[in-house]
Amino acid sequence: MRLHTEKNLPAKASSGKRGLWRKRIRENKFAYMLMVPTIIFMMLVHLIPMLEGIWMSFLKLNQFTLGKFLKAPFVGLDNYIGLLFNSDNPVRQGLNFAVRNTAIYAVIVTIGVMIMGLMMAMLMNRDFPGRGIARTAMLLPWVVPSYVVGVLWGFMWQQNGIINYFLVDVLHLFADKPFWLMGPNTIWAIIIPTIWRGWPFLMVIFLAGLQTIPDDIYEAATIDGAHKLRQFWHITLPMLKPVIAVQLLFQIINNVYSYNIVATMFGNGAGYPGEWGDLMMTALTRQSFGYWSFGSGSAASIMLMIVMLMVVGVWYRAFRTELNAQ
Amino acid sequence: MNTHRKRSVSSFLLTSLTWIIVVVTIFPILWMIFTSLHSNNQILNGITTFSLPKPQWVNYINMWDTVNFAIYFRNSLLICGATTLLAGSFAVLAGYALARFDFPGSKLFGMSIISTQLIPGIMFLFPIYLMFLWIKNTFGLPMINTYWGMILVYTAFYTPISIWIMRGFFVSIPRDLEESASIDGCTRFQAFYRIILPLSVPGIIATGIFIFLTAWDELLFAWVLTTSSDVQTIPVGIRLFVGQYNTRYDLLMAASTVVTVPVMVVFFMTQKYFISGMTAGAVKG
Repeated sequence: MRLHTEKNLPAKASSGKRGLWRKRIRENKFAYMLMVPTIIFMMLVHLIPMLEGIWMSFLKLNQFTLGKFLKAPFVGLDNYIGLLFNSDNPVRQGLNFAVRNTAIYAVIVTIGVMIMGLMMAMLMNRDFPGRGIARTAMLLPWVVPSYVVGVLWGFMWQQNGIINYFLVDVLHLFADKPFWLMGPNTIWAIIIPTIWRGWPFLMVIFLAGLQTIPDDIYEAATIDGAHKLRQFWHITLPMLKPVIAVQLLFQIINNVYSYNIVATMFGNGAGYPGEWGDLMMTALTRQSFGYWSFGSGSAASIMLMIVMLMVVGVWYRAFRTELNAQ
Repeated sequence: MNTHRKRSVSSFLLTSLTWIIVVVTIFPILWMIFTSLHSNNQILNGITTFSLPKPQWVNYINMWDTVNFAIYFRNSLLICGATTLLAGSFAVLAGYALARFDFPGSKLFGMSIISTQLIPGIMFLFPIYLMFLWIKNTFGLPMINTYWGMILVYTAFYTPISIWIMRGFFVSIPRDLEESASIDGCTRFQAFYRIILPLSVPGIIATGIFIFLTAWDELLFAWVLTTSSDVQTIPVGIRLFVGQYNTRYDLLMAASTVVTVPVMVVFFMTQKYFISGMTAGAVKG
């Protein structure tokens, strides 16, 4: 109603709008008070460090200038140029491999957890003996801390470990026991534990999503003669699409920023897994702290953030209709 | 008859498949516990039998002596506990504000909360590390190697996502409750405190467990911001342990079991709340 009168009186609109704004702020005083602690903490540990990080990416910050912090010499875009074009840059060392591995890792883990999670949610949505126990047991990997996942799977992947025992001595899949923690196999040594730990959570989310789909839709489809696969494709997937969209984004973000499993699985805790297991986070932390090269480190993390913003943009365009329908 | 039979066969196959996956899924955890009961020589030779000769409970005693595990444990409990309390309370307050009020800036606030999740932790790591050094040099206030430094960082990190979970939970509580309360003469705060809060206990528990589990799992910041074992947390302790005694798998598996089991117990005691709380936000959006 109020908006209508404003539209009819353009001369007064600006002052009226400001008055309305002020009134709404006053009316919502309680809401603002509820947010004060959050805003203070987010200023201290999100906003300020982020602005500092952006500023630091233009500074020459090494072991000599570290003490000056934000007053270190300004070098413009040198850190960015160094990262992109100068292969001698210490932070650049091995970054190509880390970027490649992170891309492979994030894509395979994300697809893997989504498919496993959905499949298990559908299996668990049936009635079968021991369903309660099975469902609880399934959640166990999710509660295992990820640094334990690194240690535990690093132990199991060993050449005389239990995984090779199953693969070679029981199933005879390979002639010789492969090395999982060396060479190109390394990437599987980090992908599989991450999927193992990640999918139970998606199972829980998808199971809750499945239970919101009314049974009569499936009954009607069965009467119409639609078989299970068609039902899955035309009912289950579309109904779950909003949930899938949100979880997809969270998974991509989590996996690109993954650190713990690699850090505890390799190099006796030093976290260097070689060319085929190094991820962005482990590589950047190791190189930046190893060479006290925080300017380049900040520049690299800003570039990573820009790439992630583009990923989110693509994601939003792809799922816009589902997200707005909610 | 035929279709009935076909259905029961396929049902049997699906159930078997489910149970096979269950067994494969929990196997690594059982293997961890099983390994932790062996002597280190047995482990290094490779365990390939599933019968246990003589449980080496002594591993569970030695692990506390070899490393200062008790201190790591205390530090983790303290830091994660305080973080849970602080971030949980902030999330309850701000989540309620976001769920119920359409105030100027609410869209911006909601958006910035989501977008914090996009920023790589490492983006904060360098500035926070240098800022902590700078605060020490300028004001003489130590930040690195302190409980409050870690609690400050963790609280700020886990508040945004927790706000989102709490918001989802508050949205699912009908608005009529507060409206009828205000007719009965309650102020907004009283309506929140007396009516909404008691109803949101499952959501609060879920959020609390979520924060605790995430903080219990954090390694990167703890690794950089703590260098003295007085404040180091379990993840750091385990990583140092791997570095120092990388062939002592007996102790390593015992330690891994000890840090995993309490979390599991807490989780399964509160599972019901946790799952309903987490999915309330995730499914309903």
